[in-house]
Amino acid sequence: MRIKLTSIMVDDQNKALEFYTETLGFSKKFEIPMGEYKWLTVVSPEGPDDLELSLEPNANPAGKTFQQAMFGQKIPVAAFESSDIDADFQRLKAQGVVFTLEPTPMGAVKIAVFSDTCGNLIQIYQPVGA
Amino acid sequence: MFLGHETFVRLCRARDLLQEVPEEPALIKDVARESGMSMFHFIRRFEALFGTTPHQFRINARLGRAKLLLARGQHSVTEVCMEVGFESLGSFSEMFSRRIGVSPSHFQRAARAMVQIPHQVPPRLFPGCLSLMGYLPPSVFRNFQEAPSSVLR
Repeated sequence: MRIKLTSIMVDDQNKALEFYTETLGFSKKFEIPMGEYKWLTVVSPEGPDDLELSLEPNANPAGKTFQQAMFGQKIPVAAFESSDIDADFQRLKAQGVVFTLEPTPMGAVKIAVFSDTCGNLIQIYQPVGA
Repeated sequence: MFLGHETFVRLCRARDLLQEVPEEPALIKDVARESGMSMFHFIRRFEALFGTTPHQFRINARLGRAKLLLARGQHSVTEVCMEVGFESLGSFSEMFSRRIGVSPSHFQRAARAMVQIPHQVPPRLFPGCLSLMGYLPPSVFRNFQEAPSSVLR
């Protein structure tokens, strides 16, 4: 058993694809239409290309309730590692991304938190000394 | 853009207000005022945080609730239209068809044709927890298996 796929719920898959590729810089792996929704995954060009993040619809009411509650409590639902968090912060900020936490040292890491515009807060982190 | 805690909380409260369906829905300018922002700043910050304008957010929330009510099959299309806050059946049907891809009545018929589990909505219309994976073609999984062995170790 291994971890090859994880997911984030999004409120609009087209908007999510645009944000995760054009703004964050990930690459689209699969986009398979399935009725009103699609099987949509992205990969990071800086990581193994078979480690996928699925951008799944939050159409299920339970998922939407969970997502909005996490967001309202400022809890990130995913964390991506950055090799230069200050540069990523500046790059994303210049593209209009909203941060709720600017790069901040916190123990063994420096972290920042931003909105993915699809209903989630995402944390980026850089291990200290990396 | 950096959002301080107070502004973040106010925008989340505005998001919640826009999802409610009261007898008299608040105007966007009233929600902005309640959030303590000018209309311009409210719309700009809301869109930056949630990826959509307050007006569009409210429409999407209403359509999402309409889908749920239609799928449950206990209300007519007209009743659903009124329940979610649209004032005319014509504008509701037109908006629903444009955004969802099928008319409200078509959506309701499709839901009725699916296997119903008591007190649940059809999972194919309201997917979650990676359930869409069950409908994927085999080629997707072949791709998983053909990943370089070096990254599978």
